[in-house]
Parts: sequence; C-alpha cells; structure tokens
Amino acid sequence: MSSSSGVIVLDNGGGLCKAGFGGDRDPVAVVPNCLGRPAGAGGKRWMVADQLLAPEVDVTSLALRRPFDRGYLINTDLQREVWDRVLRGLLHADPAHTSLLLVEPLFNIPSIQRATDELVFEDFGFQSFYVADSPSLVHLYEASRCPALATAQCSLVVDCGFSFTHAAPVLQNFTLNYGARRLDLGGKALTNYLKELVSYRSVNVMDETFIIDDAKEKLCFVSLDVTRDLHLARRSGKDNPFKCTYVLPDGITCTKGFVKDKDEAWRFLSSRDVQSLPLAATREGTAHLEDTEKAKDRRIDLTKNEFNMTNERFLVPEMIFRPADLGMNEAGLAECVVRAVHACHPHLHPVLFESIILTGGSTLFPQFAERLQQELRPLIRDDYRLKIITQEDPILGVWRGGSLLASSPDFEEMCVTKLEYEEFGSARCRRRFFH
Amino acid sequence: MEDDVPGGPLRRMSSRIRRVAPKMVAALASSDNREQAALARLEALESDNAFAEVMEVSSEEDDSLDGDGQAHMQRRQSKNMKRKTRQGKAMENAKRAPRTFIEILHDANLEALPRHVPTYLRAAVGPPSASARRYFCAVCGFAACYTCVRCGARFCSCRCQVIHNETRCLKFIS
Repeated sequence: MSSSSGVIVLDNGGGLCKAGFGGDRDPVAVVPNCLGRPAGAGGKRWMVADQLLAPEVDVTSLALRRPFDRGYLINTDLQREVWDRVLRGLLHADPAHTSLLLVEPLFNIPSIQRATDELVFEDFGFQSFYVADSPSLVHLYEASRCPALATAQCSLVVDCGFSFTHAAPVLQNFTLNYGARRLDLGGKALTNYLKELVSYRSVNVMDETFIIDDAKEKLCFVSLDVTRDLHLARRSGKDNPFKCTYVLPDGITCTKGFVKDKDEAWRFLSSRDVQSLPLAATREGTAHLEDTEKAKDRRIDLTKNEFNMTNERFLVPEMIFRPADLGMNEAGLAECVVRAVHACHPHLHPVLFESIILTGGSTLFPQFAERLQQELRPLIRDDYRLKIITQEDPILGVWRGGSLLASSPDFEEMCVTKLEYEEFGSARCRRRFFH
Repeated sequence: MEDDVPGGPLRRMSSRIRRVAPKMVAALASSDNREQAALARLEALESDNAFAEVMEVSSEEDDSLDGDGQAHMQRRQSKNMKRKTRQGKAMENAKRAPRTFIEILHDANLEALPRHVPTYLRAAVGPPSASARRYFCAVCGFAACYTCVRCGARFCSCRCQVIHNETRCLKFIS
C-alpha cells in the first residue's frame, strides 16, 4: 500500500485496465481487462486479468471474454470479476474506506452509467466515487508538465485506444463534448484485421488474439509514403527492407511469440529512403552468394510455426488514416481532428491546432505523429501553427492525469458519496459530473 | 416503343435474352449481397470476443435428477417443477446473457434527443470529404487494379487471381 491518499484511480479501458493509487506516478496494475481460458484440456478455469500475463501461461487459442463491447461496459458480471481480482488481489485495497476515480468513455449511455454506479456502490461498496473522462485528464497531466499548455488552457486530445479513436477538444479542464468526434477504429480492429490477413496468407491464427496483438505491437508501423513503401515491399529476399518473421509459440521451448531478427526488422527506420534504394541495387552483384545463403535462413522454417510479414506491417495501421480503404464510410484521423476543431469557436482554432496531444496505445506505432502531421498540414490554414505533442507513455497518460486529479486537495468535495447515492439515486448524482 | 415496356412480351425476346435476364437480375441483386458481405466483415473486425459466446447451461442439475434413480412418482411430481425451473433457467439465462452494445444503444433511444445535444450518434466522424478509396489486392496486399467479376474482391495479377478463385472467391457472399 502506498503512502498516498486513499483514492483508487481506475482507468478502465476496453483492452487494458490500469489501476493504482492517486498521487503515485505509475499504476500498480496494468492488466488485460478480460477473462481467458485455454482451449485444450485443463481449460476449465477462467483466468482473470493479470493471471493471463504470467510467463508460464500458454496463450495459444485462448478463449477470451471481455466486459466491453465497442468501448462501452456491457457486462458488469465480468467486470466485477476483473475488478475484484485487481482491487483485492493486486492493490490489496478495502473499498469501504477508499474513494474511486473511474475513467469512463465519452458519451456513455445512461443505462450503462446506472449499471456502473450499481457496481461501484452496491457490489464493491466504495466510500465515494468520481467519474472523469479521458481527454480532460490527459490535458490536466500535460498542462502540469508543459507551461505553454497551461497558459493556453486548451488542447485537442486524440485518444486512439482499443475500441475507438476520439478527437476531443478540452477547454479549462472540461471536455467540450459537442466538439468531440469519434472514429470507429482502434487497436482491436487493427488486430482483427491483421489476424484476417495473416490467416489468409500464411498460418491460421484466427483464435490467437493475444499473439497477434503482440505481433502487431512489435512489428507494425505507420508509413510516411505508402506508394514508395509498397514498391519497396515488392522486392524479394534480402532487398526487401520490411520483410520479417514472427515465430509463434510452440508451448515447449517458448510460450510467448517473438520476432526473429529484431534489428533486421527495424533497420529500414535508421537507413532511411535515399540510401536504402541504391545500396540494395549495388550489393546485388557483389554479395550474391552471401545473399542466397542468408535467404535460406530467412525462408520459412516448416518445423516451426512462423509467418512472414511484409506489406501488412504498414497497411494495417494505415487504416486509421484511411478507413475508406477498408470499406468503412468514415473519414481518416486527420480529418477527424479537423472536424473536431471546427466544431469549436473560431477563436479556439489556432490554439487547438497548436496543442494536439496524442494518447492511447495505438499511437505507439512508430512514425504515427509524423504521419498525422504530414496529413494535417494541408488541411489547415497556412498561418496556423501545427504542433503535435506525444506523451512519453501514451498507455498510462490518462491514468497519470487521474492520479494528479485524485491528489488535488478538493478532490473529495467533487465526489459523490455512498450516502448521497443511496438517498438520491444514480441519475441525480451523475449530474454533478456534468455528463 | 414496345422496347420501352419493361418485361414486355417474352415472345419478342431472343431465347438467349430470356435465359440471361434472370441471371442479370440476380447479379444486380448481388451488389446488395456484396454490400452485406462488406458490412459483415467490418462487423467481424469490431468483434470484441473472438469466440461466439456459448452460455453454458449447467447440466449438473439434470444429471442429478436422472442419476438419482428415483421412483416414477417423484419424476412425475417433478415434471411440473421441471417446467418451472426450465422457464426460470431461461429467464436467468436471458438475464445473464449480456446485451450487446448495439442493443443498449437502441434502447437508449438517442435519436429522440434534440439535434443540438451531443450524443454517441452525433459524435461519429462521418464520411470522408476528399480521399477516394484505394484498393489493395485481397491476396498479396499490393495495389490492385482488377476486380473479381463474381464476388467483387480486388486482385493485382493473374497469379493472385488464380489463388483468389481457388480459395476465397465468394467466401464472404454465399
């Protein structure tokens, strides 16, 4: 137990559940927000949250059940299991004597809010409860670190999470919800898309959500020039800078998947465009023998379960910027940002474009910010400055903001207490959070 | 003049047209099928739970009833009970089976709110303004300039077409 205040900060995302004590720098637990069960024999027991991360757990064909659907809490029974594990098992907290700061998605639906309140007060019996939304917390955290943001008092938070992506303007620590825009693409859809591609092209991995998630995090990146990269990806053998191999776990020697030749997989990032083109061409003649030998190594080893990835590496995250390519009738991220800004008062436009904050796990793809900058520039006025702020740890950004808020002196006054809930009910108490 | 009449006298058509016409109708309808298939695919991308949720009805109770080897009497007695319990179980299951977000959204009746209230529905980013759709080969992922005549999927070369026809053609449609 930490020395800090008795406030539990819970950023309850669709993918990861981040929990810890207010005032701390890092959360105690960052665990998958789901229940999992191995497919084979011995798969009777559902494993909860952190148990899934244990090194000896076989993650192949894990059946998953998530309390979230499309970013919103739909199954409180599952959520109770996860919270129970996290709060009692990992945080060793006693809800009856602590307050809870819970992060809810934007535009939460009243019936879901009611179910959440029930879960918080009736099942866990928390002393008091506060609901925050992620954009305002991210703004709060960044403003505390960056004086320029603190004076501007507003920012545009792009939260690219597990289930969806929100671009939301924040003014004086309040999210302007009339300006928020949602893109229905997040890490989950990208994982599922990669799963589909890999299953069709090499190995069937339709059941391996965890493993493909890992492959996506380790290998995917955002391309700055799709046409050029597609040309490069066409090359065969060693000349192909994007080709890499991911080894699936076999359950005997390794229980987690890994990338073969990690340095090889990312070498194109260091030796950028101009060099890589002629270099590859000249080398072809001289070191041909060597190449063929190396190529043998790089060929798929049939005894092991592995798959190659080339253009999938950048075509998968590409979907966030061009959902239309997938057949979705939605604008890309850059346009999403522009629409969110344009929904606000014109006086805010230049300031908002100058303080775009990226948060959420899906912004971790290499070159994400550069690509967004590149796409945004032509869409906004010449005389506006454009600045994109990346967080040092986008996954924890929201949580840290929550921790900051929870440690502020007047936090307890903002909360709804259990007594108030029992007297006035859910709807009345919710009004306090301006939702 | 007579040609303008749709579905005019069949006698005047050539036999080939007569044979092909229904197929044409089916083909036109299939563009709708393609749309449906595309929607289903997007739906699959959004699915949170990789596995279809199978609610396990605990069979233990039934087993214990049979396994006890009780007399006829008891069983007949329990018949009435059993119907009740089955109903109760169904109710319980219905309660237990979580509603999907779409259902909850539907129940929330957000359309009824006035236009200026920001809601989940109004926060959607909406269709793109400028960028046209780019097509990628369904087989290898590179830029595709050909369309499969049967299912509408894209491919980039003859080689990919052969693979597509062998493996995936019409997979999302039929």
